[in-house]
Amino acid sequence: MTAVSIRRPSPIAWLIAPAALLFVLFFVLPFGVMAALSFFSANPISNPNAFLTTRHYERFIDDTAGIFHDALWATLRIGLVTTVVALLIGYPLAHWMARMHSRLGHALVLIAVIAPMLTGIVVRTFAWMTLLQDRGVINTLLLQWGLIGSPLPLMYNEFGTVVALVHIYVPFMVLTLTGVIGRIDERLEQAARSLGAGRVRTFLEVTLPLSLPGILAGSLLVFALSISAYVTPSLMGGTDVLTLPMLIAQQVSTSFNPSFAGALGVILLLVSLTIVVAYNRILARVSGEQGMA
Amino acid sequence: MISRRSALRAGAAAAAATLAAPSILHAQTKTLKITTWGGKWGEIMKGSVLPAFEQEFKCTVQADQAFPFVPKLQASPRNDPIYDVLHTNSNEQWNSLTEGLVMPKITSKEVPNVADVYPYAVSDKIVGVTIFTSAIGLGYRTDKGLAKPASWKDLADPKLAGVRGGYIIPVNSLGQCHLMMLGKVYGKGLQDLDAAYKALEALKPIKLVDFTGQMEKMLLTGEVSMGVIHDSGVYRYDGQNQPIDFAGPSEGVLALEQVLNVTPGSKVKELAFAYIDYMLRPDVQKKLAEGVWYSPANKKVKLDAKYDAKLLNTEAKVATLIQPDWKWYNARKEDIDARVTRILRG
Amino acid sequence: MRTSAAPNRRPFDLGRAAYLGVNGLLLVFLLAPIAIVLVFALNPTPYISFPPVGVSLRWFDKFFSSPDFTNALALSLWVAACTLVLSVTIGGACALALVRGNLPGRAFLTPFFMSPLMLPAILTGLALFQAYLLAGIGRPVWGLILGHTVVAVPYVLRTTLAVLHNFDRRIEEAAAVLGASPTRVFFEVTLPLIRPGVFAGGVFAFIVSFDQFPVSLFLVVPKGETLPVVLFNYMKFDLDGAIAAASMVSILLALAVVLALERLIGLRAYVKL
Repeated sequence: MTAVSIRRPSPIAWLIAPAALLFVLFFVLPFGVMAALSFFSANPISNPNAFLTTRHYERFIDDTAGIFHDALWATLRIGLVTTVVALLIGYPLAHWMARMHSRLGHALVLIAVIAPMLTGIVVRTFAWMTLLQDRGVINTLLLQWGLIGSPLPLMYNEFGTVVALVHIYVPFMVLTLTGVIGRIDERLEQAARSLGAGRVRTFLEVTLPLSLPGILAGSLLVFALSISAYVTPSLMGGTDVLTLPMLIAQQVSTSFNPSFAGALGVILLLVSLTIVVAYNRILARVSGEQGMA
Repeated sequence: MISRRSALRAGAAAAAATLAAPSILHAQTKTLKITTWGGKWGEIMKGSVLPAFEQEFKCTVQADQAFPFVPKLQASPRNDPIYDVLHTNSNEQWNSLTEGLVMPKITSKEVPNVADVYPYAVSDKIVGVTIFTSAIGLGYRTDKGLAKPASWKDLADPKLAGVRGGYIIPVNSLGQCHLMMLGKVYGKGLQDLDAAYKALEALKPIKLVDFTGQMEKMLLTGEVSMGVIHDSGVYRYDGQNQPIDFAGPSEGVLALEQVLNVTPGSKVKELAFAYIDYMLRPDVQKKLAEGVWYSPANKKVKLDAKYDAKLLNTEAKVATLIQPDWKWYNARKEDIDARVTRILRG
Repeated sequence: MRTSAAPNRRPFDLGRAAYLGVNGLLLVFLLAPIAIVLVFALNPTPYISFPPVGVSLRWFDKFFSSPDFTNALALSLWVAACTLVLSVTIGGACALALVRGNLPGRAFLTPFFMSPLMLPAILTGLALFQAYLLAGIGRPVWGLILGHTVVAVPYVLRTTLAVLHNFDRRIEEAAAVLGASPTRVFFEVTLPLIRPGVFAGGVFAFIVSFDQFPVSLFLVVPKGETLPVVLFNYMKFDLDGAIAAASMVSILLALAVVLALERLIGLRAYVKL
């Protein structure tokens, strides 16, 4: 970024107006209402006996049930693991796609990468059931080949949840990374090679650092998505997995307690925003160090 | 005595009525907002049941298929509710009653056909009126050398470790029924939670799923050899030669009821009651019952032989149905949810 | 990776083979569940199962002859297209403002606009539903579209910000030096150069809207349901292959749209920026 000495916003700042309007009307206001509701015992519009209370928040903080704090940690943990695995899987694919010279090959990999996003939530679950269950394809093959003695528990636990989440989110990681990697000037790598560095060393010392902004951006995206996911963990995790979004969904659809759900949502949002702001600080500093544009 | 003046007045009124007839008819085309399930049930409803109703009662029916329904009803204004008729399972009707979203009782005064239903359909355990029920029992594989389960305790057989199936209790009413049943079978009754929790612990390892479709799939693929399921979930594969069957244990089967109710704020209450009456008609009941293997609530329904054999269509058979006290359960749901989550967590 | 400094080509490049092998395996991971869904869709058994016992088009037949499914598909496509256009314009403008506008509190504005991503969409859906009912507007299609747009804008923002961060402003400065007015620089230099990034976000927006479920759940009306909602509620009740067929049709259609976009604007151009 060119050194900015002007402090006043430029006219371009007005371009934020449509987004600001959209968000205020369709995000801030509804959530304001929901957050306000979370401080009531019940919906004050339909229930004249509703009173102001912090008991929904206290309920979470006290956690006499013993499951709420665990749910928060589980959410963050699954989010982190999903992000790391998605990165490990997404990077090679993004690198391949970015460096591919054939237009057809590029299109084919693009199709392969995007298709998981389009499969549809419930059908995907049944596909994973077919693959991961005790009598699923993977276990049957492994048993047949004599590699294992009894079926591996791949489903109805945290493993199955992470696999399914990674599968949905790798495309986001790949598409975010592929742009950044593609923009790395190949001549820099060639220069390193011609100076005698091996491929691995070139990658570690040239490509990887230059793609760091993409890594951070993609990770942020996948992390944000995976800490808000609830349908997939519900279907894939049995009761082994209880995340905060799952709890929120349960409160809305089966306990019919939108006030508590709203409180949990506020808590989740605060925790996530804190992490994201910290993340963005790192991203800004790293981009700055790279001296990019 | 008809004077000329009154005749003229009547004639003018009749003329005006005729001229205005299209608009009156239009004004009289009321809209009834209901909820309905999807899948085969939804197909039958949208294909024949609802269009026939619309024609007979000269109205339009808007059927919402996007489950869950109660949160939406909860969020809509009381005097202009988003549904006129709410179709859910019994536990959700009780939740809705607590919030004043539905009516507590529906009698034969509002819905004449209520006079013809089995007692369970309007018992004190029901809010609204039951139109169909299923029996919750044990589904099992017939090709694994298992004896047909005679008791709920058979699910805890050590041979079935890791190949038995249950539900995520906080989100599934069959799972909730199962929990209460454990209290009855191993303890003092449906409300003996301590005994139920102990029995639940002893059922581990158990595979838990979110909805009955997943349980059906697990049974069909042999992933589990026995699981808690309602009879409809097994019988719908009738004629397909699947090695699965349903067993109603000796301690009794629990009722999974399809319950209809009317919202107090509805602006078309008469039409809503007419709809419930319509759904209780023997011919409509027969069509749906045979389409999705539900047991009809109307005593006068005559089912075809193969359905009659398996469904609960006589006084004697429906006497085996156990109706849980949902009011009691819902009041404790949060605590129960937390407790079972801790017990069943890996 | 070919480099001009590469020595004479070795007959078997272990490194490259490993590279391709790993990528191949990863592709298998991505495509395996989809292959299974395809099997579900073509399997004539009355409930979804594997392995296949035959090939049949009856589920596709059922899908296309069901007005529920086809109307839902049409609505999903329409909503996704509208969301694409709206989120691209709004999100692109927002990104420009954030990077170039010298706005105060920028460090917090970016996470603010990303926050829809972090909230479970069921809450977003419920909150919007409550808001719409309070405002008395019911549940119109434009309400659904705007709900999707709120959820999609963060993606467009993310990709456009990435492009703008790496933007070489010297090109703009050169144009200005050569006499172009700021407006002209904007429309003829800046916009075309960030366009690929904006459209990559647009692809995300289209896919996210097309596959969007929890927000739609609350905002659709009877006979006006999107495909994911119809499929989810169908599957809660019935396990036949129609859902798998619906899934395959969705994938193919959405892929067609994405490939068309790629042809028109070229994500490759985005890559090669």
